Amino acid sequence: MGKSRIQNNIRKLRFHHDEMTQKQLAEKVGVTRQTIVAIEKGKYSPSLEVAFRIALVFDSPLEEVFWYEPKDDPE
Amino acid sequence: MTFQEKNIMASLSVFTIILLFFLLRLFQLNQNGNFAEPKIFTLWGIVIGLAILGTISLTILTHIISAVIEIIQTGNEDHEIDDTTDERDDLIDLRGTKVTYTITSFGSLIAMLTYAFGQPPLIMFTLLILSGVIAQIAGDINRLRLYRRGF
Repeated sequence: MGKSRIQNNIRKLRFHHDEMTQKQLAEKVGVTRQTIVAIEKGKYSPSLEVAFRIALVFDSPLEEVFWYEPKDDPE
Repeated sequence: MTFQEKNIMASLSVFTIILLFFLLRLFQLNQNGNFAEPKIFTLWGIVIGLAILGTISLTILTHIISAVIEIIQTGNEDHEIDDTTDERDDLIDLRGTKVTYTITSFGSLIAMLTYAFGQPPLIMFTLLILSGVIAQIAGDINRLRLYRRGF
């Protein structure tokens, strides 16, 4: 499975929140650190609930954390 | 390596040993011309017993060894093992189970076809057990692959 078309800003948001570690974010969201790593790298698209919980940790709207990159379909 | 990965490695080791033992014993019985009921029933019993007891004991052993290693590394006796599971773990487990079920289904079909084409029931049940063990190994490999890759 390649990279997901759902992109995210988690790395940048962690940086702007006092260099929050992946472990700290994982504990706040209630998932494993490996899941945060996979989401950050775009290898795993989280459920809507986890996505909202991540957005809540950063106190940001969902679309500021995640966005969808449409596929460039050759016409 | 996460706690889940260690558990999968333990299961994979147990089932690989069981597969090798099963194939070796089958080969020996076939060579000696003992491929008959009492010997084969004993072999099935050993394989099923090993699968259940081996998986449980090795999982417990993995838990204990992981805890000891982490205490030595951190130097903190109150250190707890992080055995949290989340939706990604469930999805990986589901994909592994899917592979296991698919291979078991094909194995069962082949086993029943051998019976339908006139082979003795001993062959059918031996193939059923063999496909079950191979399916478990394939499922575990798929789970490990997904963990290593991220998803």
